[in-house]
Amino acid sequence: MEQFFTQLTNGLAVGGIYALIALGYTMVYGVLKLINFAHGDLFTIGAYLGLTLLTSLALTDHIGGIAGVILLAVMAMGLVGIIGILLDRAAYKPLRTSPRLSAVVSALGASIVLSNTIMLVYGPSTRVYPQGLLPGQVFYIFGLPVPVMRFVILGASIALMIGLYVFIQRTKIGTAIRAAAIDQDAARLMGINVDRVIMLVFFIGPALGGAAGVMVGLYYGQITFTMGWIYGLKAFTAAILGGIGNIPGAMVGGLLLGVIEALGATYISMAWKDAIAFFVLILILIVRPTGLLGERVAEKI
Amino acid sequence: MKKLLFLLLAGIVAATTAPALAQDTIKIGLMCPLTGSWAAEGKDMKQIVELLADQVNNQGGLLGKEVKVVIGDDGGDPRTAALAAQRMATRDVAAVVGTYGSSITEASQNIYASANIIQVANGSTAVRLTEKGLPYFFRTCPRDDEQGRVAVKTLLDSGYENIAILHDNTTYAKGLADEAKKLLDKKDVNIVFFDALTPGEQDYGTILSKMKTKDPDVVFFTGYYPEAGLMLRQKMEKGWDVPFIGGDATNNPDLVKIAGNKAAEGFRFLSPPVPGDLPTKEAREFLDAYKARYQTTPGSIWAVLAGDGFRVIVEAIKQTQSTDTQKMADYLHDEMEGFPGLTGDIAFNEKGDRIGDVYRVYRVDADGNFVLME
Repeated sequence: MEQFFTQLTNGLAVGGIYALIALGYTMVYGVLKLINFAHGDLFTIGAYLGLTLLTSLALTDHIGGIAGVILLAVMAMGLVGIIGILLDRAAYKPLRTSPRLSAVVSALGASIVLSNTIMLVYGPSTRVYPQGLLPGQVFYIFGLPVPVMRFVILGASIALMIGLYVFIQRTKIGTAIRAAAIDQDAARLMGINVDRVIMLVFFIGPALGGAAGVMVGLYYGQITFTMGWIYGLKAFTAAILGGIGNIPGAMVGGLLLGVIEALGATYISMAWKDAIAFFVLILILIVRPTGLLGERVAEKI
Repeated sequence: MKKLLFLLLAGIVAATTAPALAQDTIKIGLMCPLTGSWAAEGKDMKQIVELLADQVNNQGGLLGKEVKVVIGDDGGDPRTAALAAQRMATRDVAAVVGTYGSSITEASQNIYASANIIQVANGSTAVRLTEKGLPYFFRTCPRDDEQGRVAVKTLLDSGYENIAILHDNTTYAKGLADEAKKLLDKKDVNIVFFDALTPGEQDYGTILSKMKTKDPDVVFFTGYYPEAGLMLRQKMEKGWDVPFIGGDATNNPDLVKIAGNKAAEGFRFLSPPVPGDLPTKEAREFLDAYKARYQTTPGSIWAVLAGDGFRVIVEAIKQTQSTDTQKMADYLHDEMEGFPGLTGDIAFNEKGDRIGDVYRVYRVDADGNFVLME
């Protein structure tokens, strides 16, 4: 039982990161019906930009500890968001009226370009975040040691997700995004600037991915230019699992995928961890082809 | 340019006609990659063997004769190596040192065998090379399966009884893990955990938690340094103080950067020693002489092993008072024991494999340096 709870916290911490990246996939898909395969690389760019900002501006020296880390994350989010908008302009906008397959191929190409650009700029070897920025304490729940940072990561992920959900559901701009997700032409007729909405979506999605990148860099310390691939794949799976195009679905899917992986590795086989996660995905899709929270007709996003 | 070419040609002619008056020289061949992608290794091998040959000659030569090194470039390529070996076989050499890559050595093995020439390879670690039953083939480097033996010895010597083995499903890491498990199964210890992680991930919390429930005395990780560094760091965060031992793929300074000095301290790994860490008196004298002559140190252990190949050949000629292939091979197989090589004591088994441990254990100290453990 102790083992079960320990692994549950392990799974939730990883799952929180999957969920945060999955949000980017799901938002873009919800509005454009496009799977942005370059999203994993935007996440990587977030991690690298965070490292550059951290070392070149010496932010944490000036502002100190937690406030510096938060400011760092916000700056990285802004920059990755802008890169997201540029990516849309360069790779997706010219294909807006083309068949959907063209845009997917363009997304794959953009992914290759981005990851190789990172390699050329930062070099192919592993980069390491400076240490000691985050509190390293461990605290005990029912006698089980759990590093504080696991909760912070999970908490930050959930806070960002709830913030996004409220933004989409309660604000005027959020309503416009939802309208564009349902029917772009009708939204345009209602006076919504759909191009502006798409731009916003391409800012928010990558910015969340960038935040996840900074968190991964800060917590795990080690980043490589290929890490976007494995995280992107897992986050994509999480988005599908929860029902792609659905924000609470991405949250649930991410956390669930993390927990399934952790428990599968614990009770079945570690070497088969990924296979188990994908097997569960297949099972869920057989029973519910739209994913856990995906609905057939109802509004996406 | 023409003049240079002529001189070169004249030199080659002189070299090839030399055997006629070769009564007072003993020739030892060196096959090494002077061109191609391993050219740096080949250059070190050549410099080392030439230095050692000069030392022998300065001390009065061998059996009253001068030692001459005949060099063949194998280009780090099996086809070039076969041609180089055929040329070498016609040049009246007593024995041949080399070469570096396993597949390159393999291409030359049968040529030397049919010419009845002793070959002492220096960087070819593939197990199969000595499993062919060639009577005149030796090597001064360890075999790929030796690392497993040294790992097991290290684990047992440290008194660990409950051992966890973790690999990453790559051919190399899984091979090492399987080898270690096979050997440990015969001993009186428990392997409480044997599984693989997925390389390239960043969160190994699940694996660490799972291993922790098995309560091992030690974890032997056969994979690479990024995963090792992450696990050391995450293990410390969890407050789990089990010792970790790694294979030679963890020998990279980035390990300490990833883990941080505090988490990396006490981590041990197996690796052939770097030349600067060679323990013996012979090695220190050799390194001083090498530095004095070339103003640098040899880049890797494999080139130094070529020097050991040369030294065992010289020793065999000295002890048998002849350059007869069969007599020398018998000496190397049966009589040579505890010969003080540059890389430690040398003896060969009946297959021509080196007996004894080349692998050493390194430990990470509090400042993140890799320190050789005695």
